[in-house]
Amino acid sequence: MPKHLHEIRDPIHVFIRLNTDERKVVDSPPVQRLRNIHQLATTFLVYPGATHRRFEHSLGVMELAGRVFDVVTHPYNIHDDIRRIVPEITDQNQMGYWRGCLKMAALCHDIGHLPFSHAAEKELLPEGWDHERLTRVLLESTEMRSLFNDMTPPLRPNDVIKLAIGPKKAKHLSFSTWETVLAEIIVGDAFGVDRMDYLLRDSHHAGVVYGRFDHHRLIDTLRVLPSPPVSGNAPAASPTQPAEDQPDPTQPQPPPREPALGVDEGGVHTAEALMLARFFMYSQLYFHPIRRAYDIHLKDFLKAWVDGGQFSTEIARHLEMTDNEVTAALLQASRTPDAPGHDAARRLTKRDHFRVLYQRHPDDVRVNPEAGKSVFDAACKKFGAERCRHDRYSQRSGAPDFPVLTKDGRIASSLAMSQTLTQLEAVSVDYVFVDPDILAEAQTWLQANREQTITPAEELNDE
Amino acid sequence: MNRLQIAALLTHLVRRMRHHGGWCGETHVQKSTYVAQQLAGVPLGFDFILYKHGPFSFDLRDELTSLRADDLLHLEPQAFPYGPKFKITDNARKLGQKFPKTIKKYTDALEFVAEKLADKQVDELERLATALFAKSNFAGMDDHDRAAWINQKKPHVTIEDALAALAEVDELEEEFNSELA
Repeated sequence: MPKHLHEIRDPIHVFIRLNTDERKVVDSPPVQRLRNIHQLATTFLVYPGATHRRFEHSLGVMELAGRVFDVVTHPYNIHDDIRRIVPEITDQNQMGYWRGCLKMAALCHDIGHLPFSHAAEKELLPEGWDHERLTRVLLESTEMRSLFNDMTPPLRPNDVIKLAIGPKKAKHLSFSTWETVLAEIIVGDAFGVDRMDYLLRDSHHAGVVYGRFDHHRLIDTLRVLPSPPVSGNAPAASPTQPAEDQPDPTQPQPPPREPALGVDEGGVHTAEALMLARFFMYSQLYFHPIRRAYDIHLKDFLKAWVDGGQFSTEIARHLEMTDNEVTAALLQASRTPDAPGHDAARRLTKRDHFRVLYQRHPDDVRVNPEAGKSVFDAACKKFGAERCRHDRYSQRSGAPDFPVLTKDGRIASSLAMSQTLTQLEAVSVDYVFVDPDILAEAQTWLQANREQTITPAEELNDE
Repeated sequence: MNRLQIAALLTHLVRRMRHHGGWCGETHVQKSTYVAQQLAGVPLGFDFILYKHGPFSFDLRDELTSLRADDLLHLEPQAFPYGPKFKITDNARKLGQKFPKTIKKYTDALEFVAEKLADKQVDELERLATALFAKSNFAGMDDHDRAAWINQKKPHVTIEDALAALAEVDELEEEFNSELA
């Protein structure tokens, strides 16, 4: 008898479970290509273990998406307000379809990534393109449509696209409330399974423990809940309040607030752990200065090496281009002095990366929030633009404000429940790197001119 | 406008909203920024889509996080069970002083938005901003069709409430044009 359920071993989730239809999508060229895309670009040059690929991350996101779906749609876990405003959540006829759709969206959410993931995306794609748009184009391709159509039940590609890239990137598509909730399971700010998996997986492979948190407990406590109350939108009365304090059912009730992914009260501490893991992973690993410097050299190499300085957005050419092709070219260029991108390639292979001249300091930010740019502009004037690089990046997403279902049945903001979340800083980096040959001279120059360089005063363009 | 000029205007708007008694949680800032941009013509450059509680900009959300990282905005926790308010910092005040021409150019427009929206609740802001979104995106439609569209996208907004919000947008536009345009 043929086997219809399959398991894949995974160091994070132990087993990834999938059916035969889903395995066909795993075996498709766009998903298999992810075996050759590093999850963390050049991070392995700093953390040697971080050589894992987008393929296993995509499997992990699929596994977690299925687990979260099962928890938040379990009848016992559905909040009464949500039953009213998202009736689909109790429609058993639709559950199989949406679960399959969510898992496939999770599996395919990264198929549009360029070689070395995010490192090169911004400057190496034509205006208006990013990896999410490439993902969308791939999901709309004949091959993927056919795979989705052959599934039981067949999946509508547009539904997979919506859940895979979310409302931010699928602006051309209209989302129902239910679809918005499902997309949040994958790409959500607070509890998106994309983030959960990459924190766990990246910390495992990089060998750092601060990306870990109790995701089993967190997932068990996830709920779709009305958004936390704000001024004037009085919270619903508690079911444990005396009857006379309960809302009068004959009077019109305020409209339920929009749904969001939140936790029940028992999950607040694991949610804190997730947010702390995110903070530490960003500040210690993703924004590690040497890793950022290597990414800059990689970008410089790619700009010189890729035809026309930009990657193709044609499907066939996208599928052919992986880290393997780039690595082979990079090694070759590093040995060939007149090859395009030789200098950048040599810096990557010989570990002769640019060094940190300046990094963000809270005192400087108080004087000038764009202090790094001021230092960079001045350093370029002094030493030449080819010997200096600037890297500024702030954590995306909003404050960790999500709904919490309290033990007495009320909905509260996580930030009213947790001092830890309230105190959590937003991570931001602002580095100026220089050629190691001029580092000592540049340090001396900056030391002598630091204050006047950082103070913005006349530099501001106040028009 | 460069990033710091936009930061100066955003923090000025938050300050004026708070001055007029506004709650200034993220939803308030999102909707008032949308109205400032779309109705009052302040060129902040954020890309809005119809999402939670009406027009929403992910870019603006990211920028608010950056402003927190740059010590220009703080989150002020509120008593249980409410979400936090935004509050500007001393650094934001100093930043505003570095852009007197920028602030002066848009101060009346931002003051108009702050005065008109500060005391509105989230439900009202959602209706108003969604009505403005419908007007801006469906110029050729009449208000009944726009109201039906709003009701379809936001079923908790009745057709009657949507029509009232569309009329309120007309009034606001008229008022803005007669006073400031």
